[in-house]
Amino acid sequence: MPELSYREAVRDALTQAMRRDDDVFVMGEDIAEMGGSMGVTQGMLAEFGPERIRNTPISEIALAGAAVGAAMQGMRPVAEIMYEDFLTIATEQIVNQAAKHRYMSGGQLTVPVVFRTQGGAGWSPGAQHAQQLESWFVHIPGLKVVFASTPEDVRGLLWSSIYDDNPVVFFEHRTLYGLKEEVPEEIEPIPLGRARVHREGEDVTVIATGRLVHEALAAAAEAEKEGVSVEVVDPRTLQPLDENALVSSVKKTNRCVVAHEAVVRGGFGAEVAAVIQYQAFDWLDAPIERVGARFCPMPFAPVMEEWVVPHANDVLEAVYRTVGRGN
Amino acid sequence: MAKVEQRGTLSKSDLRDFYREMLLIRRFEEKVEERFRAGELAGFLHVAIGQEAVAVGVCRALEDGDIIMSTHRAHGHSLAKGTHPNEVMAELYGKAEGCSHGYGGSMHLYDVEHGNMGANAVVGGGLPQVTGAALAFKMRGEPRVAVAFFGDGATNTGAFHEALNMAQLWTVPAVFVLEDNKWAESTPESQHSPLRDLSKRAEAFGMYTVKVDGQDAEAVYKATRKALEHARSGKGPVFMHVDTYRLVGHYIGDPQIYRPKNEVRKLRETKDPLPLLRERLGLSDEEVQELETEVEEIVEASVEFAKSGTDPKPEDALKNVYA
Amino acid sequence: MATEIKLPRLGQGMESGTIVKWLKSEGDKVEKGEPLYELDTDKVTQEVEADASGVLLRIAVAEGEVPVGRTIAVIGEQGEEVAEEAKAEDRPEEEGSPGPAREAERERGRAASTNGSQTESAPAERSLDTGAARLKASPLARRIARERGIDLASISGTGPEGRVVAEDVERAAAAPASAAAPAPAAAGEVEARPLTSIRRTIARRLTQAWTIPVFQLTISVDMTRTNELVTKLRAANPDVRITVSDVLAKLSAAALMKHRDVNVQYTEEAILVFPSANIGIAVAAPQGLVVPVISACERRTIPEIAIARVDVVERARAAKLQAADMEGGTFTISNLGMYGVEQFIAVLNPPQAAILAVGTTEDRIVAVDGAPAVRPMLTLTLTCDHRAVDGATGAEFLATLKASLEEPGLAL
Repeated sequence: MPELSYREAVRDALTQAMRRDDDVFVMGEDIAEMGGSMGVTQGMLAEFGPERIRNTPISEIALAGAAVGAAMQGMRPVAEIMYEDFLTIATEQIVNQAAKHRYMSGGQLTVPVVFRTQGGAGWSPGAQHAQQLESWFVHIPGLKVVFASTPEDVRGLLWSSIYDDNPVVFFEHRTLYGLKEEVPEEIEPIPLGRARVHREGEDVTVIATGRLVHEALAAAAEAEKEGVSVEVVDPRTLQPLDENALVSSVKKTNRCVVAHEAVVRGGFGAEVAAVIQYQAFDWLDAPIERVGARFCPMPFAPVMEEWVVPHANDVLEAVYRTVGRGN
Repeated sequence: MAKVEQRGTLSKSDLRDFYREMLLIRRFEEKVEERFRAGELAGFLHVAIGQEAVAVGVCRALEDGDIIMSTHRAHGHSLAKGTHPNEVMAELYGKAEGCSHGYGGSMHLYDVEHGNMGANAVVGGGLPQVTGAALAFKMRGEPRVAVAFFGDGATNTGAFHEALNMAQLWTVPAVFVLEDNKWAESTPESQHSPLRDLSKRAEAFGMYTVKVDGQDAEAVYKATRKALEHARSGKGPVFMHVDTYRLVGHYIGDPQIYRPKNEVRKLRETKDPLPLLRERLGLSDEEVQELETEVEEIVEASVEFAKSGTDPKPEDALKNVYA
Repeated sequence: MATEIKLPRLGQGMESGTIVKWLKSEGDKVEKGEPLYELDTDKVTQEVEADASGVLLRIAVAEGEVPVGRTIAVIGEQGEEVAEEAKAEDRPEEEGSPGPAREAERERGRAASTNGSQTESAPAERSLDTGAARLKASPLARRIARERGIDLASISGTGPEGRVVAEDVERAAAAPASAAAPAPAAAGEVEARPLTSIRRTIARRLTQAWTIPVFQLTISVDMTRTNELVTKLRAANPDVRITVSDVLAKLSAAALMKHRDVNVQYTEEAILVFPSANIGIAVAAPQGLVVPVISACERRTIPEIAIARVDVVERARAAKLQAADMEGGTFTISNLGMYGVEQFIAVLNPPQAAILAVGTTEDRIVAVDGAPAVRPMLTLTLTCDHRAVDGATGAEFLATLKASLEEPGLAL
């Protein structure tokens, strides 16, 4: 089995889909010669040429909108939004247009477009290049939202997103690009809407996304030494959400922690907590804990940035609180 | 709908057909106003009375396979692009038989089979998608053109500038039809743009531009043929600056307190495209009456069709969210 | 033919307007499109144009607020009669209903939306613990208490901020009935003992056990011959402390080998029948209940079982058991006889399908050959997983065990 980094896994999904299918193409800012700000599309220009590895002007509205327009005509574009902070500029096209065309036309149109983007803290880019905005898009009927945390997942989920007939907002976490993992030779598509149990446990379920999946696994290993058995579940697709997987895990453990890097207030964890409390209310033996960033824009100074975003220890403390050992 | 045969030239019979189509749109929209005032129609409705020659002139020039994207003022575009009046009216009544099956309404008329990719209620919102659709045609080597309708207000949006820049950069087969009716809702052009000649905005991107009198259906048709030929032949997009007039308010019921009453009255006397074309064709009262009767029957029938249509089930609201 | 002029809807949301003044008088000629009256809406004051041409025959509403759709005037031919109802001001109109258009359809949509369509499932029936309104208890604890009829107020919580958690309810449920409703608490601080991981395991496993459908069978045994056997064995093996428990383990193993259908485990796919009787012995260790296993008791002699038992019990009390010491059990014996307990029901030790609860051996008056006699009697209660073991199967096992305890020679 080949070993791929998260970055190479994204590239592998794009490359294989483009080899297989002329309708698939990639467009975005600085994605051609430069290979994108994170080097994800590096080398693809040589194989596919500038028509299909299409550099765009710095025009997020038109970049997103042109991808939507091409998708409405049957192409399967993958539009790279360089930093997820810039999704705010493209949001009109994603929210009012991509998400609505099928609906407003009474089912006449499909919009099979993927908006790939990346973000997150860890490298101190400051307040306009490190946000985690996934929860905004979960709120929009008509969009699917994916947040992959491992090389194998990112490859299988991107493949499924490209071949999904709905607009998908696809989140990658910047600090995961170097993460390596052995993956099968052939891409195994991962259906959208299926969670992954990374680790089984008996006492507490941690539902984590993106970078926090790895922080949660580290916390689980630590908790085990103290006799607390932690189950770690990554929903992977935030919309549609694999509610059954999350709820049945919590029914088993009776305790739940939700963890993401985005700020806690209005974060995706709030939605998960609501689903859990409603469907597993009578199984809960402790309040649901939420782990996320503190409520401030992302600061620059590394010392502040590290303090603002959650780490394994924050997850661990939340786990301990649910079993009555915390403060 | 019969296509005009010989490219670029129009017989008297073609123009008479144009007149009939414009008359249909006019009477259709007057009926919409009437039914709205009577409380039968929900939603936000905007009619394009005064702009019929643009819709007919442009859409009659298109080939099968060409697509349009329209605006919140879309009834005329939809009818001219071939959607049956029954289906448009049924949509305004929120019926399952409507061209958007009751999911869209006046501001979101779609008819994909007839190449209408949707009316857009976000000013300028459809323009990037027209660039994208044209890009798809170019990448697949299809001889199709994507056409955008938009107003002067839209030329101030970021989407307009980004979409036109990108379209010219990639020389995609798109035609951007500016329906310059001098009003962005209630704001006159003098208050929303420092330029009087909005085609300069397209020229700034190096785009080929065409100017045309939007009250003259034949002129619009000919200009559109020219623009389509340019775009289809791979020379890149075209900007059509169409000079037109909105002879009504922004929405149905708009008291137009922002413009002098005599302005509208004067425009109706001098700029109404229907009398202009009638005079040009020299149609007799009998001929006009014959057309009026024919059109009135179609419009009345569309109301009957719509009223006897099927209401969607409330829970149908959950359909069509995802493919 | 006369045209009724109705107050038009001049924008979404307009429900009524106020007629300020008429620009024409009754009897005036009116052209369609000519300003007819001045109207005040919540948005703006405007002149409204005539919908029809003719003579203004009647002004039905001279001024004031009028709902949308109400007839306010009539235009027609000179001299034309005005229908009487056209004057009526309060007549409901078929057209031009006020408010947002298509109110009737909106109402239908509203009605449909109250049929639970906003939530995917109806919330489970919930009873209100009115007496414990201010009591902190987790939802799970509340559910368990509700299901078992336990008053939450009688339980002291060990969770954060004194919250009653599931384990607290489990503990209360396991306690004797008298403890469930204690006398008024003595003054003093409630002591919160942190949970040990063994306590957590006990709680989890026993909670799991509680969901299994079980039945119990009780039988009394004359222990005269077994006691004699123990005495003899002790004499023969002075270095080993042999007890009734060892005989019970040996004879249970023998009975299990005879009734293999009790030496089983239930799984979703199959019933697993074990070839050997690995007997778990419930031990009250300081840190909590543990169940070390003595494997293959059917192949061990009673002194061998005793040696093994003493080893694991000592290690259990010293908290030195290995995980392997507690694995592989197929049957458990729980003996509370040393506390004088006459009989009790043991909770199943999953995944095992049966557990034997052993009370104290005491002298009782029993009928022997038709006459009262005093005999050392023991009461055994067998709890069985009914998914794997049927009543008759359990009863046959218990009958065999009784027979062999009353005449050990038959089994040995």
